[in-house]
Amino acid sequence: MKISREDVAYIAKLAKLRFSDEELDRLTREFETILTHFHSIDRMDLENVDLDKVPVDQQSVVRSDEKTVFEDKKKLFNNAKSMRETYIQVPKIIE
Amino acid sequence: MQSDYMSAWDISKGIAEKKFSAVEIVESHIKRIKERDGEIGAFLTLCEDEALAQAREVDEKISGGRPVGRLAGVPAAIKDNMCTDGIRTTCASKMLEDFIPPYNATVVERLLDEDAVIIGKTNMDEFAMGSSTENSAFRITKNPRDITRVPGGSSGGSAAAVAADMVPVTLGSDTGGSIRQPAAFCGVVGLKPTYGLVSRYGLIAFGSSLDQIGPFSKTVLDSALMLEAIQGKDERDSTSYRGEYQKSYTDSLGKDIKGMRIAVPKEFFMDGLDDEIAASVQESIKCFEGLGAKVDEISLPAAGDGLSAYYIISSAEASSNLARYDGIRYGYRAKDYTNIDELMEMSRSEAFGTEVKRRIMLGTYALSSGYYDEYYNRAQKFRKVLKGQFEDVFRSYDLILGPTSPVLPFKIGERNSDPLQMYLADVYTIIVNLVGVPAISIPCGRSTEGLPVGLQLIGPHYGELRILQAAHAFEQEIKLEL
Amino acid sequence: MNFETVIGLEIHAELYTKSKIFCGCSTKFASKPNENTCPVCIGLPGTLPVLNEEVVRLAVKAGTALNCRINNVNKLDRKNYFYPDLPKAYQISQYDLPMCSGGHVEFECEERHVRVRINRIHIEEDAGKLIHLEEEPFSLIDYNRTGIPLIEIVSEPDIRSPLEAVTYLRILKSILEYGEISDCRMEQGSLRCDANISVRPVGQKEYGTKVELKNINSFRELQKALEKEEKRQIELYRFGEGHKIVQETRRWDSGKGRTVPMRSKGEAHDYRYFPEPDLMPVIIKESTVDEIRGSLPEMPYEKAARFVEEYRLGEGEAEILVGDKKLSEFFESTIREGASPKAAANWVLGELLRIMNEADLSSADITMKPAYLHRLISLVESGTISNTAAKEVFKEMFESGGTPEDIVEKKGLSQISSKKDLEILVKKVLEDNPKSVEDYRNGKTQAAGYLVGQVMKASQGKANPQMVRDLLMREL
Repeated sequence: MKISREDVAYIAKLAKLRFSDEELDRLTREFETILTHFHSIDRMDLENVDLDKVPVDQQSVVRSDEKTVFEDKKKLFNNAKSMRETYIQVPKIIE
Repeated sequence: MQSDYMSAWDISKGIAEKKFSAVEIVESHIKRIKERDGEIGAFLTLCEDEALAQAREVDEKISGGRPVGRLAGVPAAIKDNMCTDGIRTTCASKMLEDFIPPYNATVVERLLDEDAVIIGKTNMDEFAMGSSTENSAFRITKNPRDITRVPGGSSGGSAAAVAADMVPVTLGSDTGGSIRQPAAFCGVVGLKPTYGLVSRYGLIAFGSSLDQIGPFSKTVLDSALMLEAIQGKDERDSTSYRGEYQKSYTDSLGKDIKGMRIAVPKEFFMDGLDDEIAASVQESIKCFEGLGAKVDEISLPAAGDGLSAYYIISSAEASSNLARYDGIRYGYRAKDYTNIDELMEMSRSEAFGTEVKRRIMLGTYALSSGYYDEYYNRAQKFRKVLKGQFEDVFRSYDLILGPTSPVLPFKIGERNSDPLQMYLADVYTIIVNLVGVPAISIPCGRSTEGLPVGLQLIGPHYGELRILQAAHAFEQEIKLEL
Repeated sequence: MNFETVIGLEIHAELYTKSKIFCGCSTKFASKPNENTCPVCIGLPGTLPVLNEEVVRLAVKAGTALNCRINNVNKLDRKNYFYPDLPKAYQISQYDLPMCSGGHVEFECEERHVRVRINRIHIEEDAGKLIHLEEEPFSLIDYNRTGIPLIEIVSEPDIRSPLEAVTYLRILKSILEYGEISDCRMEQGSLRCDANISVRPVGQKEYGTKVELKNINSFRELQKALEKEEKRQIELYRFGEGHKIVQETRRWDSGKGRTVPMRSKGEAHDYRYFPEPDLMPVIIKESTVDEIRGSLPEMPYEKAARFVEEYRLGEGEAEILVGDKKLSEFFESTIREGASPKAAANWVLGELLRIMNEADLSSADITMKPAYLHRLISLVESGTISNTAAKEVFKEMFESGGTPEDIVEKKGLSQISSKKDLEILVKKVLEDNPKSVEDYRNGKTQAAGYLVGQVMKASQGKANPQMVRDLLMREL
């Protein structure tokens, strides 16, 4: 199982995480170990396993289309770092 | 330490019979926490005022002759990844250091409905990722049985709080062994119920298809009592079990287990298992046979291969579940950034710890295009095969028995450097989460150094009663003094 | 060289539900930002989604109305990407098992029979809204729209011109409106349209490089944006610069009237879809599909055929009427009140559409009661008011919602149909205009017209012109 540092750097971008070069090297080595270990299941025959078959007891519950209101809006947004009136305020996003 | 211990069962009975008041109980437990937790470090938040107010309410109910719940006045502590309305819930992460949920998790509501008293929030590995509680951003929790050692993880705080008699019962969460492994390390009872039996609403997600909340206690009876309180269908959790729930577990304990068929997979006794644990488990098997159970060695071929499938699935789900922590709506926000992308990236990079980042990375990798089929999809297929093998066993057996952990509690700092070594501590517990069945860890012996050994009993889906009956019979038989 | 344009549309329609897709928050327009939010839709840690059953029903309804196959086993998937308007940093959507697949819509456009195949319809949740402040270095986030249920309807690239695209969208819109699946208000964003467009030399089998157009907010803009992009691509090919057409997303700038490349959201694109572990698969029973199919209301093409048959309307008239559900309902209600189909059609297709177009209003803005239109028609037919006056009354009715009788009364518009009153007027006019009387009697028949005019003038336009003419003829 060969993984390149570039692969790991690309994954970091996807995950929105920043790493130093040393950290990237370490992660690359760790991935190799863990993913190599994973290939131990290669000897198992998984070709015919059908993941789309759904047992009856694993079907979704649904709710009826009824309105509910979360009253305490102040509490709901009390963890926001900055608000403007009832908006959440963030640094400008350029589209 | 044993002298001042009182079980949840005895506390609720005593309060209902007015032998003592809820306030007295809560005050004495707070006092004990203050005396002991400086050394142990089980708690992240102590809710003294709220707890006393709750206790007073319980006392008023009792003095007013009103009915009270089955946990009336019982002090309980909750792992800090379950949301408590108005009380800081941190997941032991710098990311959520100041996070105050505006709602209660369903389990918290259920405990309050039963008149339990929430006394505090317990330490854990950050976002429940770890097996030693060393990954907490805030403090190290020590194993009350030997303070140079880890309490296990990720629910190490909840296990240690019970082991040190600071509270009779706590809640933990178990994604790959996070209740059972610390229970084994701390010498207490820890139960992971069937996936779906206890609502996950308000449990801050790690691996959504694996996460399950369960109790810690000193006795099997207390765990049964806690399970009665917290289980049940929840409209807010789509994965909540919709069938019939066992109304009472506590009523049915004490039944003998003659004729119970127990399977012992030989794969549980292969490389890496500590000799002393192996010996202790063999003793336990003899004890079960003495109780009239029929024990057979069987084979569960996929059991040994579960570890990496588990890490692929749990990390993949975690990478998605933890993406919401971006510094926008709540949680840590980096100080320096030049634009919104940097705000998100820096906030995440600064606030998440090493292990959390490692899993997010592994999970992102496993889901990324070109790798999905090779890893995530194959891991899911493996999971299905594993489920099939468990079902086969449960067609002929009532329970599966084995060690909870392959290793004894290790020294603080000992396994930090090698993630795979740390992951191996979960080898017997993770397969249970992959299959979704219930399992308990109960103390079954001690090593020569006096360290606790845990025994794991695994049941079929919704087989909690069977597990509890067997565990109770075993507990009464061996009468282990820890 | 001649070029052929190839277009496919991706349409997002907000479903007509009371509550959001995964929580109980209202879907109604809220005056305050973040008013319709709760821990679930703002993605607070620990919260879980629970699917609104009405969303499934409406998606199945859309599928059956568009001739799709309904998939019995459905799952929901997470589409992962970071953006501040997406609270969980993933959108719950459907990836490889959409609710409906393989449908089609057929219509005639510029003498071509067009059959647009529908690849799939899936359900998903909407994201929040961002507002970028002009003068300050901030953006503001409003999560009211987060979790509003959507269906995405993806067509195959079967459309060959901007006009066909607009026609397809109009038909789709009317079907969704008829099925009460979505209120489809493009201007409010409850119906949104992205277009994929490419061009290729006629006869070439392979598609050209496609460009995705976003931010299209009306039928007019859809046509314009496609025309502009079509022109841009053909020109590039013509001048040997075809390589400059790259697969990209371009934003339609309606102000500038052109498409511009969009800055991509982050450099890395990989949505890492995987099954949503918080939701179990959704099983739709065949019996449920049948029941929904059976309960489908009359669709626009069915209604148009009925209008032609039942009310003897022209095909063109019927199509215009049914193209707008509310308008067609207004038309039929007027008939049900007792008006003749012909008169009702004349008024609705004439005055009503004219006024709506002038004021840039939609049929949703009609407050006038169908019964009033019927009564107005009766007033004209009985000769109480003139046609000209009726138009004035109609406009007033449209604006104020008043009854025709009150307006006629208030404005004094009723015709003088009383023979006695008219005779007096006619006599007076004849006396005052001996010259014209003389002319008429000498064979200058056009003098009669002048005399009618004089009577009308004397009555301030209220005289019934036919009666005036009859009386004059008798007197002369």
